[in-house]
This record gives sequence, C-alpha cells and structure tokens, in this order.
Amino acid sequence: MAQNKTQQHIRTLDIAKKIVANIDNGIIVLNEDLYIYHYNKWLEHHSGLKESDILDKKLDDVFKINSKTLKRKIKTALRLQTPTFYTASTSKYLIPIKINQIKNANFEYMQQDVSIIPFDEEKGLVALILTDQTIMANTNTLLEENIQTIKELNSNLLKERETIDKKVLVLKFDSSFRIVDISQALLELLHYEKEEMIGGNFLFHEKYHMTQELQMKLVSAIQELKVFEFEENTLSAHGYEIYFKSTLVPQYSAKGTHIGFIIFRENITDAKHLAQSQEKILASSRSAAMGEMVAMIAHQWRQPLSLINTIMATLKIKKELNQLQDDSINEAFKKIQNTTTYLSDTIDDFRDYFKPNKKYSEVNLLSLFENSIFFLKEEMHQYSINYSLEIPDSIMIVTYKNELLQSIINIIKNSIDAFKDKTIKNKTIIVKAESKESHIAIIIKDNAGGISKETLKKVFEPYFSTKSKNGTGLGLYMCHTIVTQHLKGQITMHSKDDETQTLLELPHKLIKGKQ
Amino acid sequence: MLNYELTEDERDVLQELMNVAYGSATAVVADMLDAFASLNIPNISVITTNELLSTFDELKNESYFFATQSFNGEFSGESAFFIDQESANNLAHHLELENEEDLDDAILELTNVLTSSLTTKLSQEMDTEVTFSLPSLSKVSMTSIQETTTFQHYSQVIVIDTDLNFQDQKIHGKIFILTKDESIQWLKTKLNSILELLI
Repeated sequence: MAQNKTQQHIRTLDIAKKIVANIDNGIIVLNEDLYIYHYNKWLEHHSGLKESDILDKKLDDVFKINSKTLKRKIKTALRLQTPTFYTASTSKYLIPIKINQIKNANFEYMQQDVSIIPFDEEKGLVALILTDQTIMANTNTLLEENIQTIKELNSNLLKERETIDKKVLVLKFDSSFRIVDISQALLELLHYEKEEMIGGNFLFHEKYHMTQELQMKLVSAIQELKVFEFEENTLSAHGYEIYFKSTLVPQYSAKGTHIGFIIFRENITDAKHLAQSQEKILASSRSAAMGEMVAMIAHQWRQPLSLINTIMATLKIKKELNQLQDDSINEAFKKIQNTTTYLSDTIDDFRDYFKPNKKYSEVNLLSLFENSIFFLKEEMHQYSINYSLEIPDSIMIVTYKNELLQSIINIIKNSIDAFKDKTIKNKTIIVKAESKESHIAIIIKDNAGGISKETLKKVFEPYFSTKSKNGTGLGLYMCHTIVTQHLKGQITMHSKDDETQTLLELPHKLIKGKQ
Repeated sequence: MLNYELTEDERDVLQELMNVAYGSATAVVADMLDAFASLNIPNISVITTNELLSTFDELKNESYFFATQSFNGEFSGESAFFIDQESANNLAHHLELENEEDLDDAILELTNVLTSSLTTKLSQEMDTEVTFSLPSLSKVSMTSIQETTTFQHYSQVIVIDTDLNFQDQKIHGKIFILTKDESIQWLKTKLNSILELLI
C-alpha cells in the first residue's frame, strides 16, 4: 500500500515535471529575495540561458527588472496565499525576451502576462508563470490604431454632415415616399419645423405647383430608380413661392439594396424672378420696336404718298383744262399702281425683318447692311448724312439673319438720332467689317459728337436713354441681349473726341443650341 | 423564475462575513503598501443592478479608474474596483512610482489584493475555493460605464465603500462584487446554513 502511494507520488511528480518542461509557458520558481530555484525548458529556449547557469543567482542580477515591484508582488502572494499578477496590457513584460516574428512588428520584446503563484509557504517560494501575449497585444495595438482612424473618419464625417445640414438643401424619402430626413437649410428656407416634415408623404406634403406632365415623369423616374433633374416650385409655410432646380437620386445601402431617394435642391427663385423681369423688358422692347417700325414706314411712305398726291393733282388740273387724254390717264394709273405696290412691299419688308423668326441661314454681310441702309435711307437723306459701307463682298456669316439685321438697324438708328439737332459738317456713318480667324468684327462709326464716359457705362442698361423724347431706352439693351444671348457674340461701345464706335464681334458660324 | 433577491437575514449574514473578510484584507493592503494604514469600517451593502447603475449616475462627473477581475468556482462572479484620479495620484506618490504604466499596475495590484482577500476569506467561510483571472483596467467615463451591458448579467451586487487612510493622505475607492445569478442560489443555501448555526 505504502509502496503504491510512493509509486503514485513518483508518477505524479513525473507528470508534473514533463508538463513543466513542455508547457507553452515560462515557469520560474523564486524565493522572496529573487533567488532562482527553477527555470523551465521553455524559458531556456526563449531566453537562450541555461538553467544550470543561473540557478541560485538572483533574477534581478540576470535580467534588468524592477525588483522592488516584483518583491512586493511576491510578498503579497505569499501573505495572501492567492496569486498576484503582471498584465501585458499595463506592464508589457517582466523577463526581456527578444522576439523575431514578422507578424508582431509592433514589439521588440515578448509581451507577457505573469501570474505569481504561492508555491511553498514554508520555504517562501513562489512560481512565476509567463504567458506569451504578444499576438494579443499586437492585435490590440492594431485595433487601437484602427479605432483611432475610425474615430477621426467619423468626426470628419460628422463635421461634413453638419455642414451639409446647414448649407445644402436636401431631402430624403424612403421607397414608400415617406420623408425620412430633411436638412436644416431646407427647413429654414421653407419655414417648416422638422417634425412637420418627417413622416409626411413627399409627393403630397409640400404645396407643389407641378404640372401633370412633370409629376408623371417624376413618378416614373422613381419607379425606374433613375437620376432625374427637374424644376419645381413650392410654397413655404409663409406662402412664399420658391423655385428649385432639383435632382432626384436613388439611394442605396452599403450592401447595394435600394433604400430610398435623395433630392438635392438648388434655390433658383432669384434667377427665376430675374428671368421673368427680363421677359417683361423684352416684351416692352418689342412694342417699342413696333413703334419704331411704324415711324420708319411713315418715313418710307411720305415720298410715294406725295407722289400719288401729285399725280392726282396733275390729273385734276388736266381734266379742268380739258387736256386729259387716255394716254396720260393710263400712265398716271400705272404710276399709282406701281407706287401702291411699293407701299405694300414696304410693309411686307418691314414685317419680315422685324419679326424675330429665328431663321438660321447663311447670309452675305454686305447685302445685309445694304438692306439695313435701305430702311434708313430716307432718314439719312433728310439729315444729310453720308454713309459708306467698307465690307468685302466675300464675308459670309451663318446666323439668325433677322435678329442681326434688327441689331444693326438699331445701332445705325442710334447714330442717326445722335446727328439730329446738331450742326455738324460732313455727317458720316462708316461701316467696316473684317473677317478674323476666330470671329467676324463689324465696326459702325459715326462723328455725331461722341459720348461721355459716364454715359458709355450705362448704354446697354435697360430703360437708359439720353433722348428726352421718343427714347424708350431699350434699343441698345435689346441689341446687347440679342447679340450676346442669341447670336453668341459681343458688343462694345467706345468713344473718342467726336467719334463713337460700336464693335460687334460675331462667330463665323453660330452653333444652334440651348438659349 | 428563480428568486435572486436576498432576504434581510441573508443580507445581514453576508454583511457580517464581508466585515470579517475586509478585516483580513486590511492587513494585507497595509503590508503591500508597506506603511501604517488604517481602513475605516467599511460601508457594506447588497444592492440590485438597477441600484448599481444609479450609483454610477452619482459618480458621473468625476474621473475614475475602473478595474475588473473575475473569479470562478462554486462562488463565481466579477469584482469591479473604482478609484478616483486624486486617490490614484496619492497611491502613486506613496509607492514612489515613476510613470503611468506603474500606476496602472499598482491599481491592478490593489484590485487584486482587495478582490482576492475578500473573496478568498468569504469562500473559506463558506467552505469552498475560488480561482482568479487576471485583472484588467479601463479608463472610461462613467457615462459609458452605464452603457456596459454586461452589468445586466448580474442581479445582485455587493458594494464595499472603503477608505484607506495614511498619515497624510487618503485613498478612497469603491469595490463592487457582482455575483453570478447561478451562484446566488448556492450563496443563499450557504448563508442559510450559517444562519441555522447561529440560531
């Protein structure tokens, strides 16, 4: 029996010995003064020191360690008869062991958890059990770094979100059109509270002014999950009409499933108002142009009408003198007929040229100017204005013919008006044109006294006029609008001494496109 | 559903046992700190987790070190030790520590000493053994502690309010011993058998 017990004891010792030798932990047995009693194989292999070389030496003589702390922990373990610890997360390591693992690049030394276990109360011995925690520590370091990165990204994201919320007009709704989010900026513009909007149906919530057609298009874009750009107007809570240029964008989750829509809006109310007032100006400038046309027709008609009058008077006198013969009657009727045809043609001509018909064609610049002069000939003759056209016959331009003609007439008319009520010798209007590589340059020059610098700054503004009577102040404004917006050219005016010069720069070939 | 609540009698016995355990812990702490230290008679109470969370609420505005250590056996659970910044500084000063890592280590040591002396003594009284895991330290704000859902795993919490007094400095800390619900039944049985012996 006793032998059995001894055998069993030996077997247990044997097991313990093998385990201590082969376990994947470092084991050191020490006393309170740090003298080494045992140093296992694992430690021999990792530290490169043999147990036989360090037995009975002090641990703090073999390794550089904080002996004060270790002694305190050993004392506590013995006193308490429970383990005390070092943790890798706070103490890093107790026994300095260099590591050579590529994976654990963050550490030079093995990171260790150490348990100090009371081993032999009588002899005051403890066992230090070292566990390699380098991989864990490495993972923790990586995790820490990633958490830091995520935190930074997150805070940037939050800042951006805040900016978007404050500055961008944006609204989100889910697949069933329920409004799920709306930016502060949009709320402020619409004068709604967030609670009033969230949960509402996007299609019905705001007081929209959408045409049936637009609604249909919007709904089909929503059904087809398409990006859709459109203009809409809505009423704010205070009843103001607000115009938006909006873009509908389908929204997807990170996994790619469709979750709803975002609408980005741009407030174009101001631009809309401007366009509307511009339209009003254009309308009144059209009626001004009409008035001018009537005046020009009247000019044109004066001479032929007086011709008819003269023919009639001659006929009357001849009749009273009984000298009226069939020949002279026929001749008179023929003249009257020609003249009335001319009168009728004049109206047609004016109507054709003044109607903004947006006819896109290739025209000879010289003949275009000859046409324009034709309309103004009478007036120039009346005020003894000489004119000359220095335009090469070869210059052709592809553009909206009538619009360009209208502009030219307007500019020349302006020069003629400048000559009125002035005694100037050699009143002259010269038109020059030159074909340049990038454009056609047309210069219309007069010597009607020049324009002051102050006035020059304002000539293209609407309702600006130096003419006290008859001036609508829209002529040059119209020219500017037509030339820059419709003909895609430039118009500038310069003045020096008595001369004023208007420069038109037009593309050789106007490319039709969006207006 | 099992009843995890302790009766008034059971609480009294537990408090009495904790007093004894704390007495032995005092001596060890004094030894560890190598100074004459006195520990006030602790304020020991047994509370529910909800009460624990409202206790955290009161501590919200202060900066705390928060260390935990789990123990296993028939009596198993976790201990949580809170020590405020000022007390931690006093501890560092007393131990002549040079850097922050040493301070963290010292706090863990204190946690370990208090946890193991208290639970060892308690388990001895109740005729059982426990093993201890490594303690771990976290520096978190009280607001995020409240969100630590693991507290919800425990329904009963033993709270020990303690003051360590040195000649010129004070170290104040709070220990919460959280017992697993499985252990509560065992604890109740043990407490009741002790109660019977007393009567």
